[in-house]
Amino acid sequence: MIRGFPAFVVRAVRAQFSSIPPREVFVPQFVDAGYGSLMLLTILTFFAGLNLAVQSFGPFSRIGAQDMLGMFAGIGGVRELFPVMAAVVGGARIGANVAASLANMKISEQIEALEVMGIDPIRYLIVPRIWAVTLALPLLCGYCNVIGLASAYGGAVYQLGNDPGTFVHQVMEQVSAFDLAAGMIKGAFMGWGVGLISCFHGYSIQKRDGAEGVGIATNLAIVNGAVFCIVTNLLMSWIMYG
Amino acid sequence: MMGGVQRFLSFLGAVLIALVTRPRYGVETLRLMQVIAMRCIIPVSLAVAPVGAVISLQGVQIFQLFGAERLLSSFLGMAIFREYSPALASVMVAAQAGSSIAARIGTMRVRGQIDALAVMSVDPIRYVVVPGVLACVVITPLLSVLTNILGLFSGWVFAVPLGGIDHGAFMEHLTEQVTAMDLWVGLIKCAIFGTGVGLIAGFLGLAVERGAAQVGKAANDTVVSTIVLILFTDYVFSVALMEAGL
Repeated sequence: MIRGFPAFVVRAVRAQFSSIPPREVFVPQFVDAGYGSLMLLTILTFFAGLNLAVQSFGPFSRIGAQDMLGMFAGIGGVRELFPVMAAVVGGARIGANVAASLANMKISEQIEALEVMGIDPIRYLIVPRIWAVTLALPLLCGYCNVIGLASAYGGAVYQLGNDPGTFVHQVMEQVSAFDLAAGMIKGAFMGWGVGLISCFHGYSIQKRDGAEGVGIATNLAIVNGAVFCIVTNLLMSWIMYG
Repeated sequence: MMGGVQRFLSFLGAVLIALVTRPRYGVETLRLMQVIAMRCIIPVSLAVAPVGAVISLQGVQIFQLFGAERLLSSFLGMAIFREYSPALASVMVAAQAGSSIAARIGTMRVRGQIDALAVMSVDPIRYVVVPGVLACVVITPLLSVLTNILGLFSGWVFAVPLGGIDHGAFMEHLTEQVTAMDLWVGLIKCAIFGTGVGLIAGFLGLAVERGAAQVGKAANDTVVSTIVLILFTDYVFSVALMEAGL
């Protein structure tokens, strides 16, 4: 299934930077990618922040550092966990929607119909979707940082009895504006990759694949998007913090 | 909403009854286990291995603040065995196996194959859903054993050759804080998450009525709801274990 991906990327990126995406496709896609993921990501990051506090409490108290949760939430959460989670889970949801809708258009011959009307499907369908994911994911990453820190604070202070002042002080000391910006830059790169990957898998389904093809495209978009996000996160952390 | 809960409960009851009564389809279960293991092994490894690396990358800096680099490996060991390897391996099993099981069952619904099974008096829950659940329950802990090793190895790469921590000190403290309990906790969590993946995939797959778009939606919904379930259960689990003092 990887065959044809480089050629697709070249075509899509060339189209992406040579024209302005049609507004009537871009806006609904952007709203669905951003606003549509908010509820899911709020619930997820809420539990991820609580988890971060509760789960690190055990190991930290074994090495006598149970008052360091603020620092851990600052470094582990803001730099790594919250942006990655936003990208993996938000990307899975958005990417699966994109791949399923494109694959469905493909098997019901809607894309051929566009071509017959002289409309380039890459420009009309794919470019707005890629832009929508690229622009929505960084915002979601920033949003998740806020929610995650708040719930880690709640877990550390109200559940585990950490001192609120110490927690806030450690977070302020550890988290710089650069860290917050880094999370959003990561989000933009991951969003671009997720957009390209999910459009590719949705678009490369043929009519003869039928309903099965839609399932395959969705599955591949989710899995490859998630792996891409996690590996990209490691590389970008390595470049920025290594 | 209430209708959905009711349908899920009756689905759960049917699965439980199918588990304890005959006929059982052992060959189909083994086949699915093999398929899922082969499909998941590469994505799961690729997704979990970088986590150990990230923990080392950021951890070296934190622990250097205190001059306690030697503690990095014991923290890495605990974090990988107990928390990150089980949770992430399960999330990736949900992404790969869960979505493909839901898509497969959904496709079978669209093509009328599920109805055909029922006509041949083969219970679709027994033949299609239960093997998927069993396969997920068995395969997820096995994969997490693999990801434990990979996570530790990638953590080692970023701590020792790249982070400048002494190899002897790393190895010495690695297992110091890890107890057999941590390993069991990780494996049991994986088995529970795997059950959730199999059940939700089966339920949402069977709920497909017609049309290719619903197949994609079932695959997507399976992944999203399973990940929510995994994080929530993980939190409940951690709190319960902390209260129990394990």
